[in-house]
Amino acid sequence: MVGVTLENVTKRFDNVVALERINLQINPGEFFFLLGPSGCGKTTLLRILAGFYTPEGGHVHFGDRDITLVPPHKRNTGMVFQNYALWPHMTVWKNVEYGLTMRNINQHEKDQRVKRALEMVQMAGYADRSPNQLSGGQQQRVALARALVIEPGVILMDEPLSNLDARLRLEMREHLQDLHKALGVTIIYVTHDQKEALAMGDRVAVMQMGQVAQIGTPREVYTRPATRFVADFIGEINLIPGDITNVQDTIIHTDIGDIRGATDRTFTKGQRVLCAVRPEALDFLEGEPSKHDNVVSGQVKHVIYLGEVEQYIVELLDGTQIKLVEYDPAEQRAMPGDSVRLKFSSQRVVILPDEEDDRHETV
Amino acid sequence: MRRYDLNWATLSFLVALALFFIAFLFYPLWYAVVKSVMVDNKFTFTFYELMLTSPVYQEAILNSFRLGTITTIATTILSLPIAFFLVRYDFRGKNLLNGLILVPMVLPPFVGAIGMKQMFARFGSINLLLLDIGFIDQPIDWFGGGGFVGVVILEVLHLYPIMYLNVAASLANIDPSLEEAARNMGSSGFKLFRTVTFPLMLPGYFAGAIIVFIWAFTDLGTPLIFNYRQVVSVQIFNSIEDINENPMAYALVVFVLLLTVFFFYLSKTLLGNKRYEMIARGHVSSASRPASTGLTALIYVSMLSLTGIAMLPHLSVFLTSITEQWFMSVLPQELTGKYYGMVFEHPLALSSIKTSLILSVLSTSLDVVLGVAIAYLLTRTRIPYKGVLDATAMLPLALPGLVLAFGYLAGYSGTFLDARNNPMPLLVIAYAVRRLPYMVRAAYAGFQQTSVTLEEAAQNLGASRLRILFQITFPLIIANLVAGGILCFSFAMLEVSDSLILALKDEYYPITKAIYALLGRISDGPYLASAMGVFGMFLLIISLFLAGRFLGRRMGELFRA
Repeated sequence: MVGVTLENVTKRFDNVVALERINLQINPGEFFFLLGPSGCGKTTLLRILAGFYTPEGGHVHFGDRDITLVPPHKRNTGMVFQNYALWPHMTVWKNVEYGLTMRNINQHEKDQRVKRALEMVQMAGYADRSPNQLSGGQQQRVALARALVIEPGVILMDEPLSNLDARLRLEMREHLQDLHKALGVTIIYVTHDQKEALAMGDRVAVMQMGQVAQIGTPREVYTRPATRFVADFIGEINLIPGDITNVQDTIIHTDIGDIRGATDRTFTKGQRVLCAVRPEALDFLEGEPSKHDNVVSGQVKHVIYLGEVEQYIVELLDGTQIKLVEYDPAEQRAMPGDSVRLKFSSQRVVILPDEEDDRHETV
Repeated sequence: MRRYDLNWATLSFLVALALFFIAFLFYPLWYAVVKSVMVDNKFTFTFYELMLTSPVYQEAILNSFRLGTITTIATTILSLPIAFFLVRYDFRGKNLLNGLILVPMVLPPFVGAIGMKQMFARFGSINLLLLDIGFIDQPIDWFGGGGFVGVVILEVLHLYPIMYLNVAASLANIDPSLEEAARNMGSSGFKLFRTVTFPLMLPGYFAGAIIVFIWAFTDLGTPLIFNYRQVVSVQIFNSIEDINENPMAYALVVFVLLLTVFFFYLSKTLLGNKRYEMIARGHVSSASRPASTGLTALIYVSMLSLTGIAMLPHLSVFLTSITEQWFMSVLPQELTGKYYGMVFEHPLALSSIKTSLILSVLSTSLDVVLGVAIAYLLTRTRIPYKGVLDATAMLPLALPGLVLAFGYLAGYSGTFLDARNNPMPLLVIAYAVRRLPYMVRAAYAGFQQTSVTLEEAAQNLGASRLRILFQITFPLIIANLVAGGILCFSFAMLEVSDSLILALKDEYYPITKAIYALLGRISDGPYLASAMGVFGMFLLIISLFLAGRFLGRRMGELFRA
């Protein structure tokens, strides 16, 4: 296993910038996620790591080795493709064996390693089948075995679970985590599914329009999103605009009253910011608030019951709608039309710079 | 819910269709098979024995195999690299080159043979030129082996586009991630091609190779023009006159038929179950990459010279057509347009054009009616034996024209359809049956691209089935129908083997047979024949262009529907 370093990696397609000066440091043995919406450049980045694209600028290192210009077949990466890309003219066994044949490994060792790899993904009984005779989940496992068997320095996964149904996806998630633990190999995994990234990742790089918006552990990117985009993309979030009035105590003046937040960033007085609050951080206020709580008032607009959660859409006095989520809803807490007060702890308020406002100022 | 959509109209149409196919597809073949093994009501394999033991037939069969094999190999060698570069690389003018490749298809090879002879004959332009500059003392026998080389060259130049189309399609169909996976596993270069790319291309390549092989094996026009008579097709043609005394031709026809069946059976069983379902889901299309300037230049030079060589026969035909007399000189001495005028005055030329027009209009109409109906039944209804109908309608595609034409001539001899009296009815049917697959395919594609929901929406609003057909379905697929019709028409105008075999009297000669007959006349025959060939070329170019326009322009719309 090796670590991967990207320095100022830039990729253009016909003058359209797909990646803009990407810098990443991925540790040996890390389960690393590239997360973002379609078109954000995550697959492009993965294909640069595999060697299918050559960056216009910057360098890629595997360990100490600069592999920026090394062709794909000399990189020793194991890639799992979104559509699995199993060769239909070869059996499962031949598919898995192929990479070893290319490495001139002797037949005896090949047999052992292919067998072990197929066992590892629980496909030992299917060695003589043709890929067309396998279900999506089984093809997935074979593709994984093919990537694992060559003992690659890095495993690259391009949305490997996106073609599976929901139940199978959950199963494979656990399976992948177990494999990663057992093998300790570096895995770089591209997905647009935030749940996959949060559930499996050691660290996640959230990408937006060819740039890395934030890198961090799943908990960090969820609870402390760095930008409005990250906050929006991962999970749901309420955004309330306002101005900083007190830098010391992080008090923001908004149209619905002052909100107190918590931040380790420094803001200046009068700066336009967004108060970001997750729906599950909100609760109905009954009785008196504690001194750390922010309180807002409004009227319940909609109540949506989803089984394990219940969502309340509340329209605040100025007309903004915010969402409150209650887990394990034993009973409905409010009816549409009810006037309610909501509380949320200042610790749960993330203060984000208002990027749109920034843009206005720079123009 | 009923199992099938069968009403009286559908049922009677199906019965009529079955009778039509039995009469004009299966019966002629069956007749030839029976005749080849039955003499005076006795079962015998004498003719097959004779076919395999007589030196004449042995040689003919051997030559046909050589012709087919060499043509297949040569077209493969030509088209593989072309396909590879055109599919895998992007460069300026790629579409132009793509179109240019198909140009050699616009001329029936036997018309090209006229031009080829002018250029490469013993005292043709090339030899005279080489003699003039003192490069050689004796004229070179370019066509070697009694014309064999000439036939091969012409078949290759005519058929490499067909091979290219198949190879390029199978190459383009390969999911790029399959090759990427191989590169990721450490494979590259020729190893990658041998282990992954070529095996994946094989089904498509094999299909193309079979078409090319059978085509070259059974082509009648080209060897006839080169007077290369020791091949199966010419042997069959020659024995038509005395078919009643010498039934050898039946055995030869059945031999060709069996060979065809065998090859298609081979491709179905060997590769049919390997027709890989290509997943075209990945959003990454890295299949083609920009070519460097040097590579682009290389591609251009090789492509242009190949097309140039392939166009030589055409050019030569054109030159011949505007030449007063072209004999023993490198280039034509005196130019004239008179042969073009003669096309419309010469009785044989004029009557052949009329005949061909009548035949083509009638056969195309028949194709459109049958083709649309069959495609409709296949795509929009539940009828029994759908697979049989599909296979039957497609069968003529695999069947050599020679075989079918021969079956018609022999099978209907002595009936009211006897081609010896008046070949027109059988010619119409022969043309129609041979080109029916194109029409069915074109209409089938149209029906498939047009979502059934569009029809259902009309049905939902109260339109009757017939009304929907005329107001919704046909307007949506008209482009496909027009394109299919144009192709059928132009192919019929320049059809060779049916015309050569079935039209036995001057007055019923279609264009191609008239060209063949004119070539045999010493004085102005070849010039007039060339002029007619040039007309034919223009007809084909224009129709292919129109068909492409129609399909091309509407293609996008159809896909969006």
